[in-house]
Amino acid sequence: MEPTPPRSLWELYLGFLSIGARSFGGVLPWAHRVMVEERRWIAPADFAEVLALCQFLPGPNAGNVSVVLGRRWFGLSGAIVAFAGLMALPLVWVFGLVLLYADFSANPAVRAVVTGVGIAGGGLFIGTALKLAKPLAQKPWGIALAASCFGVIALGRVSLFAVLPVAALLGWLAAHNDLV
Amino acid sequence: MLQLAFYFALLSLVSVGGIPSVMPEMQRLVVDVQGWMSAAEYTQLFAIAQAAPGPNVLVTALIGWKVAGIAGGLVALGAFCGPAAALAYSIGGFWDRMRDAPWRKTVQRALIPITVGFVVSGGYVLGTPQGLDWQSALIIGASAATLYATSLNPLWILAGGGVLGSFLF
Repeated sequence: MEPTPPRSLWELYLGFLSIGARSFGGVLPWAHRVMVEERRWIAPADFAEVLALCQFLPGPNAGNVSVVLGRRWFGLSGAIVAFAGLMALPLVWVFGLVLLYADFSANPAVRAVVTGVGIAGGGLFIGTALKLAKPLAQKPWGIALAASCFGVIALGRVSLFAVLPVAALLGWLAAHNDLV
Repeated sequence: MLQLAFYFALLSLVSVGGIPSVMPEMQRLVVDVQGWMSAAEYTQLFAIAQAAPGPNVLVTALIGWKVAGIAGGLVALGAFCGPAAALAYSIGGFWDRMRDAPWRKTVQRALIPITVGFVVSGGYVLGTPQGLDWQSALIIGASAATLYATSLNPLWILAGGGVLGSFLF
C-alpha cells in the first residue's frame, strides 16, 4: 500500500503529539513506528533518507525530522505544527518533574538516585560514541583526532568554538586523503 | 537571560548530532564561566530531562528554568532549537539534490571522528560532576558497556544508574 501523507494540520499535530508522548528513552524509534508503521505517512526508505539529512544538520535530530516533514506536507505552518506537537507533552512533563524534584532535592537519598541517573546518562553518550566510532576501527588518524578532541575539550576545558574550526579542517584533510 | 539565549542560539548552529556534541560547551558555560549552577546540579537537571519523553534538548529548557524561571526555560529551548530548525527548513531540498555529490560523502566521513570526540567529552563532563571518582567511573562504564553490547531500552540503563547511585553516593 502506498503511504499517504497526513490530510490535515490537525492530523499532523496529533501524530507528532503521540510521538512526543510515547518517546521515553529516544524519539527516533517512535517517530519511525508512528509515521512509517502505524499511520503510513511515509515509506521506510524515504524516512531513512530524511533521517540521514537530519542527523547531518545541527540541532536535535527528532526536531529536524518534524520540521523537514512538516514543511514537505504543509509548508511553514506544517513545520511549526509538527515541531509544536512533538515538544508539547514532553515539555509539560519535564517542567512537572523539575518542580517536583525542587521539593525533594534537599533529601540526600533522592539526590543520590538522580545523580546516578545523570551519570548513567553520561555513560549512554559514551556508549553511543563507541557505536559511532565503529567505522574508525582501522583508522588510527581518525582515532587520534577523536582522542585529541576529547583531551582538549573534556580535560583541557577549551571552548568548542575554538576547537571546532581546527577539528573541522583536520577532519576534512583526513577524509580528503582517505585517512578516515 | 539574553546572554543565555544568544549563546544557546550560537550553540544551536554547531550542534551537529544534537545535544551530545555541544554538551561539554554548554556545561562549561553554565557551570565554569557563568556559575549559574554547580556541576552536580547540572548533572541532576540532565537526569530529569532524560527521565521525560521527548528529545533530550529538553535539558536546555531546564537550564533556562534554573536561570530565569519558566519563561527562561521556553526562551532557552526556543533559542537552541530555532536557528537549527530554520536551517533544516531551508536546506531540505538542497540536500536531496546533492545526494550523489562526492563532497557530501567526504563531509560525512570527516564528521565521524569529530562527533565521536565531542560526544565522549559530553559523556565525561556529565558523568563526573564530582570529578572522576571510582563510583562515577563504575556507573559510566557499566552504562556505556550495556548500551554498546546489548539492545536493552536505555531507560532501563538509566534506572540501573539510579539504583547504583542510591548505594554509592
